Amino acid sequence: MSDEVLSLAERKRLRAKKIKKHGLANIVTHWFNVASWAILLTTGLAMLANPNLKIMPQGYIDFFVNLFGGVGNLIQAHKVFGVIWVIVITYNVTLGFRRYFVPFARKRMLLTPDDITWFKLYPKKLLGRKVELPPQDAYNAGQKAFGYVVFLGTIAIMITGVIMTFSYLIPNELRWIVQWARPIHFGAVGMIVAGLMVHVYMAAFFPEEKSAFFSMFNGEVDALYARLHHRKWYEDKLKEEREYEMRVRLEEIEAHEQGTTEPEKPVTA
Amino acid sequence: MANSVKKYAFVIDPRRCIDCRACLVACRAENNVPIPNTRIWVYDQGVVGEFPNLAQQFVPYNCMHCDNPPCVEACPSQATYKRKEDGLVVIDQEACIGCGLCLPACPYHVRYLNPQTGKADKCNACLQRTAQGEAPACVATCVGGSRLFGDLNDPNSEVSIALRNAKSIKTLPAVGVDTGPNIYYINDLVDEQKLAITAPQIPPADTFYQKIVIPGVIAAVGVMFFGQAVAFAKQLRKGESEFDE
Repeated sequence: MSDEVLSLAERKRLRAKKIKKHGLANIVTHWFNVASWAILLTTGLAMLANPNLKIMPQGYIDFFVNLFGGVGNLIQAHKVFGVIWVIVITYNVTLGFRRYFVPFARKRMLLTPDDITWFKLYPKKLLGRKVELPPQDAYNAGQKAFGYVVFLGTIAIMITGVIMTFSYLIPNELRWIVQWARPIHFGAVGMIVAGLMVHVYMAAFFPEEKSAFFSMFNGEVDALYARLHHRKWYEDKLKEEREYEMRVRLEEIEAHEQGTTEPEKPVTA
Repeated sequence: MANSVKKYAFVIDPRRCIDCRACLVACRAENNVPIPNTRIWVYDQGVVGEFPNLAQQFVPYNCMHCDNPPCVEACPSQATYKRKEDGLVVIDQEACIGCGLCLPACPYHVRYLNPQTGKADKCNACLQRTAQGEAPACVATCVGGSRLFGDLNDPNSEVSIALRNAKSIKTLPAVGVDTGPNIYYINDLVDEQKLAITAPQIPPADTFYQKIVIPGVIAAVGVMFFGQAVAFAKQLRKGESEFDE
């Protein structure tokens, strides 16, 4: 993927080096989201009980209806967990809007010309042709696309879910709002689940993305992975590192000029 | 009483109805039906028959507790269902999400949205009374004996006897769908043309859901799942290495 051949020593050094990719707030929000989706998706699928739909087998529906002790209880549980999910996610995003959400969106989510090229070339790679993919940001174009699906889908799911949960507050003349909320809710979930198929596979099973999977626990990826898969972000990180080293060096020199400490020998990277 | 499964039905003799509407009052009192709404009706069909055999015809009317109820098919949350033990079509108020799809689905227009609860409501044959072996409130209060209620599987029930002795029996079919209604009008001159029975209506939101959203989601999830399954199979065939980069 890279334009130059990495030497073995360089690879070993990069493999051992860790770069921070995810903050604690992102990690906690991500796993809360995972737990909520596990509950809400299983109970939600069990609610698709209409005989016209035939999406889930009757045994699956019966199991969850019996587990919760009736259709009413199952729906109630879905609503309660759903409202908790809406409140927590909204709270997290609102609380961290300026510190986490805006920088995240600006630095990592904006599409660049490289992403467009990636979209053009990636299908060819899937078909088995050898192509040179352009260098990618912290998230590659596919991840960004899934990010947009999740972001827009989450908003749609939250709004329509709240509408259906509190449908008794809606006057009878506006019943069409509740009726339209259902297909939008289901459709948005469906689009995210379609993306999840790839998201979960890539993260949990795909060997090249192993580092990305563990970064969702400890926040760190190894530098070799960053260098090979997210070159632009890696370069940015190197620049940040150099700035940091420069700053520390300057402080050391200033301190030395005031005669407090000895300057260390510069560490060559 | 060989058969333990009941088949509850109403038998209504319109000729005995005097349009007193005590049944409407009894129903409202029994089931807390809010004022502008009602679960049952008495239609005035006007004068029927040919001179000199004329009659002023009143048709008591409520949920038909169909054998093949379109409202059950329309309900997205299984809140409306047909009871296996006695065939009554009832609504689980806790499961109802108040979407209102069942209202236009009913060819007989017997459903309404309760403005106090925001949920669908209709005749449930006074489940709380029939469970105790009593007749529904409208039947118990009917002064002319126009309304009868009972188990058709029991040959000695009031309704079975009434049907055996009837001069004529008529059910009201829906348009375009065989609902199998369980109100039997006997000795009647009921004109179903005047009762505005329709075909089940599906709102555009539900058509969109069934025709576009569900096939779209199934296709999208299916393609993605298939894609990752192929990739995963390839990966396993290739084997694992310590140095995947």
